Amino acid sequence: MEKQEKIKILYVDDEINNLTGFKASFRMNYNIMIAVNATDAMQHLSSHPDIRVIFCDQRMPGKTGVQFFEEIRSRYPKPIRILLTGYTDIDSVIDSINLGNVFRYVKKPWADDDILGAINEANKFYVSNSLLAVKNEELQRAYNELDKFSYSVTHDMRGPLLSVLGAIEAAQHMDDITEIRKMLMMMKDSVRNLDDFIQSIHDYYNLNRGELEIKEIDFNELVEEQIKIFNFTYLMSDVTFNTNIIQKETFRGDVLSVKLILNNLLSNAFKYQRKDNKDKTVDLNILVENGHAVIDVIDNGVGIAENYLGDIFNMFFRASTQDVGSGFGLYNVKAAVTKLNGKITVDSEINKGTHFKVLVQNK
Amino acid sequence: MSAQIPNFIIIDDSRLDCFIAEKIIQNSGTYSSVKSYMEATEAYEAIKNGLIGDDSIITIIILDIQMPVMNGFQFVEVFEKLPKEIQSKFAIFLFSSSINENDKNRLDNYPSIIRFYSKPISKDTVAQMIEQI
Repeated sequence: MEKQEKIKILYVDDEINNLTGFKASFRMNYNIMIAVNATDAMQHLSSHPDIRVIFCDQRMPGKTGVQFFEEIRSRYPKPIRILLTGYTDIDSVIDSINLGNVFRYVKKPWADDDILGAINEANKFYVSNSLLAVKNEELQRAYNELDKFSYSVTHDMRGPLLSVLGAIEAAQHMDDITEIRKMLMMMKDSVRNLDDFIQSIHDYYNLNRGELEIKEIDFNELVEEQIKIFNFTYLMSDVTFNTNIIQKETFRGDVLSVKLILNNLLSNAFKYQRKDNKDKTVDLNILVENGHAVIDVIDNGVGIAENYLGDIFNMFFRASTQDVGSGFGLYNVKAAVTKLNGKITVDSEINKGTHFKVLVQNK
Repeated sequence: MSAQIPNFIIIDDSRLDCFIAEKIIQNSGTYSSVKSYMEATEAYEAIKNGLIGDDSIITIIILDIQMPVMNGFQFVEVFEKLPKEIQSKFAIFLFSSSINENDKNRLDNYPSIIRFYSKPISKDTVAQMIEQI
């Protein structure tokens, strides 16, 4: 508590003696503001929106404390309202509490402990209310995102399925076996795209909900594993893949995130090659030293137009019609890099190639 | 204008969907020519420069909505800025695997779109399109 800013408390009373006494008693622990009438009080409220607790005397000339609270409630709903009053006013206090205008009351003349207790309770109430408001806002935002997300996801999942469905329909009227084989290959791509897409949703989920699992990472091992995966999917078949891995120190980080970054950047590098290029290459350089790992993935493929470079990390953005992408890959890469407190930059030129550079911190 | 055998062009970034549409159209027998474009920009350039489009027969454009680089709506926007004598050679039908309310409402803003169809394209869709031109 010491390090935090003092809680702001407003005390409204027409008796100067009460005000000064109150301030003297509590100013060490709290930031006390005082007001002799409703007008002064309003001024404090408008210039200090973070006032957490308001004490108000019930008996004031012109306006009672209950009336004052009733008035400010809709305009300043956040501060917790506490009434100070003698026993004789008890009926109006009960009404007021029942109407929700007053959080609680402290009887006059007050004892320091009563006030401290009231502040404590009021503050707890204030804090949980604020947390609730923040949570509500987050929830609303999450709902909106989910809406957008589910539309795009349904579209992207239905797309390949309906293609396959259409293909089956078309096959009913096809007699040429070579034509049918050609279509089967395309159906295979379609199904594979769908599978990739579902895999990226899984990655997305892991990145956003999953905990970091910090482990020692051997980059040579990790790359070997990736090569096995890519050989299996034939993505590398006519591409020269060069690796240069220099690991000068033990590297600790979240394995899943690092894998995801490597996998997506490499698969993009393999996929987005120029079909007519005789000398397709992908270079992977990894250098681990001085507390971080620098990963470079360089290809001589189709490249990315300059006007799209700013958008490539956005969800569902696709800059090319070549090889159907999910629009999810680089979004996930960016999320993974951010999760690792890293940085990602891209350099690209149409028909020359693309260079992604990732820097992640050693934990 | 009806009862004629139209040309078809398909604009879709999915190779398989282009292939299917071509096959379905070819099987229907009611076509003069059929051609696919996987990039809307390429189709637009061809139309603008008079490389496709026939003076005597209408050309049906089968247009996918969600495409990278230039999507279906963006295509229609630039198409509607072309000279009227070019536009009148074409009839646009929009296709997608799903459509959200937002996109549905947008359809009315584009007079050149004749109708929206859900994918996949079928023999019946082809017949219906020909009836509507």
